[in-house]
Amino acid sequence: MAKRGMHISGYFPRLGLASLILCIISGIILTFYYRPMGNVFQNVEEITTLVPYGWFFRQLHYASGQVFVILMLLHTVDHFLRRRYRVYSVGEWNLLIVSLGLCFFTLFTGFILKGDKEGIFAGQIFMNILKSVPFIGAPLSKLFMVPGEGFFFLPYLYHCFFLPVLIIYFLRAHIREWLPDHKFLAFSATGLFLYALIVRPYMDIPPDALVGEVKGPWFFLGIQTLLKTMPATLAGLIIPGLFLLCLLALPLARKEGRSSAPSGQQGREGTARLGEAVLYYLIVGALCAYGILTIRAGIRGP
Amino acid sequence: MRKGAGFPRVGHAERDMDRRGFIKKGLSRLFYIFGGAILAYPALSFMTFKKSRTEKIIFHPDEQQSVLNFKEGVCLVRKGSEAYAFSMRCTHLGCMLNYGAVSQRFQCPCHGSVFDRWGKWISGPAKKDLLRVPFATEKNKDIVVTLDI
Ligand code: HEM
Ligand code: FES
Repeated sequence: MAKRGMHISGYFPRLGLASLILCIISGIILTFYYRPMGNVFQNVEEITTLVPYGWFFRQLHYASGQVFVILMLLHTVDHFLRRRYRVYSVGEWNLLIVSLGLCFFTLFTGFILKGDKEGIFAGQIFMNILKSVPFIGAPLSKLFMVPGEGFFFLPYLYHCFFLPVLIIYFLRAHIREWLPDHKFLAFSATGLFLYALIVRPYMDIPPDALVGEVKGPWFFLGIQTLLKTMPATLAGLIIPGLFLLCLLALPLARKEGRSSAPSGQQGREGTARLGEAVLYYLIVGALCAYGILTIRAGIRGP
Repeated sequence: MRKGAGFPRVGHAERDMDRRGFIKKGLSRLFYIFGGAILAYPALSFMTFKKSRTEKIIFHPDEQQSVLNFKEGVCLVRKGSEAYAFSMRCTHLGCMLNYGAVSQRFQCPCHGSVFDRWGKWISGPAKKDLLRVPFATEKNKDIVVTLDI
């Protein structure tokens, strides 16, 4: 329920849930015309130009998806900065972090599904980074994408089915009220409907067009910049992997300290505090650095 | 968990029950782990299987006249008597390259690798030359390039 004078923190998840509902409804509508086989680019262009109200639903789905994931990111960063990970068990916290990762993965598969030059290249790069994983790369990449005519099929399956179901399943205990408050729903719906009505869809680049620079989705612009100078395994796997590991390990440091506290081992408590502080500032530093990299790439190109 | 809650001391029978419960739990856990592992192998084999397929790109005689001939992501080079073909996919992470007619270079729109017109790597993260692809000349002078996909 919306409380009078609610703290700003309360708005992120409530508006996010409302956007998610609009995103799922518009996504289901899009699947009635969208086909992940054959000429996907033409199919998406038909949605925008031929199918009645296609432009509206596409724009609504795009905006609600972006808004949902951005709000989830803000919600997580907000709780992280207020050190709220302390109230969760290691397992609970890890499930929430993994769910946020899955939200971004859903956004990324949506970016591929556009079927334009950007989407195809993003898929190609993702597939090749997975292939660069030692030993298991080749089979691992086939779990997510295969080249050829089935290129869009697995991302489609993940986007429309596996990922939304998994996200909802992982968050089932975290979200106490699944039906969004109607004030928040009305606010999100009004904002997103207006956006979809007024803002024309961004021009998609045909797959065979000649363009000097192809950009990835906004949240990967930083990685795209790193890929220019670093080996693919380092920029695409090790650095993001280490960041994720730091996030996952955060409540662990805390727990170690707490469990040893009653026995009066001041030393261990102190080490755990230090461990937590180091991890915390490492994550803040990495987030700031990545933010700067992303903004720079957004302005000057990756 | 609440076993023996009201009893001051745990009897033999209780302890036996506990032990039996423990073994039972362990066995059922083993059952799930082994069952999962036995199922995982065929499941993963199924999910990662891909039939090997090839694609043929045919350069008809009138499509082989220039020094560089482009078709569907393949470049056929004819330098005097020498002929070879390479894929125009970047050797970094697989984006399709652009050919600049003025600079006479292949340029990658994703992370900026540059290759010369013979497919040799010049700069950028790709580091490797463009990949040569096998081809055959038919009786009617068609050149057929075979790509694995
Ligand atoms: C977790 C929530 C979801 C998010 C964040 C999300 C996000 C996105 C994004 C960003 C795009 C690209 C749109 C564009 O650039 O034009 C997209 C495309 C698409 N999504 Fe979703 N989506 C979600 C759930 C779903 C669901 C549940 C379905 C269907 C059941 C769906 C179906 C589609 C389809 C068919 C497309 C391709 C059409 C297009 O590119 O406009 N999505 N999604
Ligand atoms: S894919 Fe060409 S430089 Fe990265």
